[in-house]
Amino acid sequence: MPISRRALAAAAVTALVLPLSACGSGGDGGGTTDASGKVEGDITFQTWNLRANFKDYFEGLIADFEKKYPGTHVKWVDQPAEGYADKISADAAGGTLPDVVNVSPDLVAPLAKAGLAMDLDKAAAKYKAEYLPGAWAGHQVPGMTGTYAFPWYLNTGPLFYNKTLFKKAGLDPNKPPKTYDELFTDALQMADKTGGKVATLANVPTIEDFGRYGVPLMDKAGTGFTFNDAKGVELLTKYKQLYDAKALDPQALTATPESSGKKFLTGAVAMNPGSALDLDNFKKQAPNLYKNIGITDQITSTGHVNMYVMGLMVNAKTKHTPTAIAFAHYVTDAEHQMSFAKKVAIFPSTAGSLDDPYFTKEDGTDETRVRIAAAKSLKDAVNYTPVLFSDQMKTALRNEVAKALQGKQSPKAALDNAVKACDQLLKQQG
Amino acid sequence: MSLVQKTPATRTPAPARRPRLTDDNGRRVRAWELILRYVLLLAVLALTVGPFLWQLSTSLKGPTEDIFSSPPKFLPSHPTLHNYERVSQTIPVWDYALNSLKVATANVVTNCVGSALAGYALARLRYRGRRATTVVFVLAMLVPAESIVIAQFTTMRDLGLNNTLVGVVLPGAVAAMNVLLMRNAFLNLPYEIEEAAYVDGANVWQRFLRIALPSVKGTLAVVAIFAFMGAWDDFLWPLIVLSDPSKFTLTIGLNYLHGTFANDERLVAAGTVIAVAPLIALFACLQRYFFRGVGEGAVKG
Amino acid sequence: MATSTASRTRPSRPARRSPWRPARHPAGRPVSRVRRQLPTSPWLFAAPGLLITGAFILYPFVSTVINAFTDRRTLIPGRFVGLANFRELLHDDMFWTGLRNSALYVVGVVPALVVLPLLLALLVQKNIPGITFFRSAFYTPVVASIVVVGLIWVWLLDERGLVNSLLETIGVGKVGFLSDQWLLLLSAMTVTVWKGLGYYMIIYLAALANVPRELHEAAAVDGAGAVRRFLTVTVPAVRSTMVLVAALSSVAAFKVFSEVYLMAGPSGGPAGEDTTLVMLVQRTGTGLTGRVGYASAISLVVFVVTVVLMLLVLRADRREDS
Repeated sequence: MPISRRALAAAAVTALVLPLSACGSGGDGGGTTDASGKVEGDITFQTWNLRANFKDYFEGLIADFEKKYPGTHVKWVDQPAEGYADKISADAAGGTLPDVVNVSPDLVAPLAKAGLAMDLDKAAAKYKAEYLPGAWAGHQVPGMTGTYAFPWYLNTGPLFYNKTLFKKAGLDPNKPPKTYDELFTDALQMADKTGGKVATLANVPTIEDFGRYGVPLMDKAGTGFTFNDAKGVELLTKYKQLYDAKALDPQALTATPESSGKKFLTGAVAMNPGSALDLDNFKKQAPNLYKNIGITDQITSTGHVNMYVMGLMVNAKTKHTPTAIAFAHYVTDAEHQMSFAKKVAIFPSTAGSLDDPYFTKEDGTDETRVRIAAAKSLKDAVNYTPVLFSDQMKTALRNEVAKALQGKQSPKAALDNAVKACDQLLKQQG
Repeated sequence: MSLVQKTPATRTPAPARRPRLTDDNGRRVRAWELILRYVLLLAVLALTVGPFLWQLSTSLKGPTEDIFSSPPKFLPSHPTLHNYERVSQTIPVWDYALNSLKVATANVVTNCVGSALAGYALARLRYRGRRATTVVFVLAMLVPAESIVIAQFTTMRDLGLNNTLVGVVLPGAVAAMNVLLMRNAFLNLPYEIEEAAYVDGANVWQRFLRIALPSVKGTLAVVAIFAFMGAWDDFLWPLIVLSDPSKFTLTIGLNYLHGTFANDERLVAAGTVIAVAPLIALFACLQRYFFRGVGEGAVKG
Repeated sequence: MATSTASRTRPSRPARRSPWRPARHPAGRPVSRVRRQLPTSPWLFAAPGLLITGAFILYPFVSTVINAFTDRRTLIPGRFVGLANFRELLHDDMFWTGLRNSALYVVGVVPALVVLPLLLALLVQKNIPGITFFRSAFYTPVVASIVVVGLIWVWLLDERGLVNSLLETIGVGKVGFLSDQWLLLLSAMTVTVWKGLGYYMIIYLAALANVPRELHEAAAVDGAGAVRRFLTVTVPAVRSTMVLVAALSSVAAFKVFSEVYLMAGPSGGPAGEDTTLVMLVQRTGTGLTGRVGYASAISLVVFVVTVVLMLLVLRADRREDS
């Protein structure tokens, strides 16, 4: 069901059985990092909510691979968006992890620590040069040597804003805020002019916001969090002002990506992060909004926007190392990333691909404009979310931030508590 | 035992012979009391069924219709099945529904057979360890289901049954709750019924199949409905145990919908209607047996 | 029904010691003339149920209990840590928040679920035309899955949903059902009660059918009004059923997860203030970085509290009996 989500899914991983069935015991025959053998045999490939929209693309891709390497067979499974992490943990704990798995850096970290992700610096070093250096480094884990997934597609959400609301509030609809300071000023004016009816932001600050504000998130060694420094406190204090002035939506404390999207659609919130996919949605659901929509870069005070990195991990216990590596590389090589990028608004992580005319030449449509702007900002984008920042840590930060916004504790105390909780969780992750 | 057996009796004679309504004792029901009852009934009806109808109405509203209007519009002005079409274009709804149906049917069969057998043993057979067996089922009912899913998954993998529909069915195949329901039903049967058969020389299996079982049909219907509902509604377990999308059940399948169209209330509403409608239809068909089963004292204190 | 079993096994045992105990006298059992004798061990009857329950419920549960004394994580096997997890619980603010909310849930939901379904059962008890339709219709919320129910109510109570637009139409203005800490908990309780009404109504209907008519007749002759008859006849007659309902609903209320999760979101409402204990189990124990050991310790607390809750309710019942 729709919302069912991790929800029910989640209550899952609570009770692992005794050690005997523990860590990825699947296939003792596998586990070599030697990729030099013959490419043959059956492997399983798992993606993350891509079947609904890209079934044909992946079926074609797999057919081509099987044709190129006779004797191989790739079984494709796609998992729903909700509950993906739970599904992976179940498989990892049960030893049924597929051979090639679609992951993000924060998913790969615990898998690498448990010895379930193959070190590609050892097994696939020869492909390293094909990717953007930053993207290749994206799946490295602090405290460990090695790289644990092929970089796949990159994404950076543009920021949408409602020009009509900007005009009403006396703001220049063609000059959206670029930095946090501009954002705060504009947001307060918006709230003031509309009598608190229209908020500018719908979400409480996340770890990425702290990153984009220029707060150092972690110490160099990756052993402790540092976002409770003066700069972090400053950001949260600002947000508290916004919240009090209703420039940050009063329901932000319980907001989900869906609910804030809805608020933007209905004109209750003036700005919302999104992706190029959303444009289509706006066109259908809110034609009036679509006509007056403004698109701008993410707010950042560091000059670097945030990017999301997807990767393909190779199961360290795979029985067909050469095939799994060959396939993971095949899916992520320049040619196939490019063809995937043309299907959907994502960006290739392979070197040179972003200079393709597809990402540089305007053709007058909004879609292209968004794409070109995003491709440009991606070149020096940063994945701010620390690789070791787990779901539990996100919740801890979110709850402490909420307490500060409600005025139950000072921003300083809130961030101190959050750092303390996250440090402890980090230690417990081992 | 009761409710339902009485229902037809009142229904048939009422309109033809006696135009006035009477209660069980033949006393006339006063008109104002009757009106009050119906008013209350309708009020509760609005509360219990209203939310479903609102969902149905939302799902029938077209893309141009404002679903957020105030005051709200209860009926779609241009009803359309467009949203349902979109659901079936997005996910193979019918394949998933078929999988759900298979799982639910298997669950009904295993639960009816397994809990009838075990319930009979607990209620009617005397043996060493009977009390312990009962305690096992009571304890099993108290275990918080959410906390053991992964352990169940590893067990299933060791059996080589992960990613199969059999694996989906097994953990709930004989639910402890149903065993206890059947036990209570058998306990409430008068001993004399079986005694006669025993004297006639019927063995345990014959007594069970020919005498005891037919007398608890109603409770079996309750077990069947619970088993069907449980399997049809389950989300967590199928999600964990299945990885092959062609084997997905409807609840997981509809999860795609949310992932892709979270903002679209109409589509989500259509999805929920698809998930709920078969259950309501099934219940409507079986409700007679269901109420009789409850009347048999299956859930009496 | 766990309670009925538990309450039944002990007190009624001597009474059932009838001379008729077939399985104890296998030698005396006449052999069927019609059919070949099938194996008749009682264990054979219980076997399918026992096997399934043992392998897929009890064995996993035992491992949960063991895990509660380890520092096991999702992907990393644990070491034995004694009572460390339980000591940590004492200093975990979130644990106390969860305990408070789960306890509040019991207090808020149980009285409503003991009383309202009884009234509803009285309303649908009389066989007036169309009553079977009403009975079935009142049962519909029980039939729908909790996920669907959650979706429906989130849409109803949404800031722009039906309830708020009705409230706006009559001039009350919008209410933040899904954004205020206490309103959220209250909304979730409402959903629990809404979904449970039909289920407990059926249990009461069965009990009411066994109340002898004569009692009501006698009371009516004595000139007792409807309210008095309800209090002096109906309530005492269905008292044991009310205890059963109280036991069942308090156990379910203490273990509440889905309603609050679906309405307040995964992080448990503003600042996590709506987190319940089982939500905390899910949050700490799931995902790739889940602390399985610690989460198991919380599950164990939940299990112990529910067992105690049930024993308390049954004890209260027995004391009143004597």
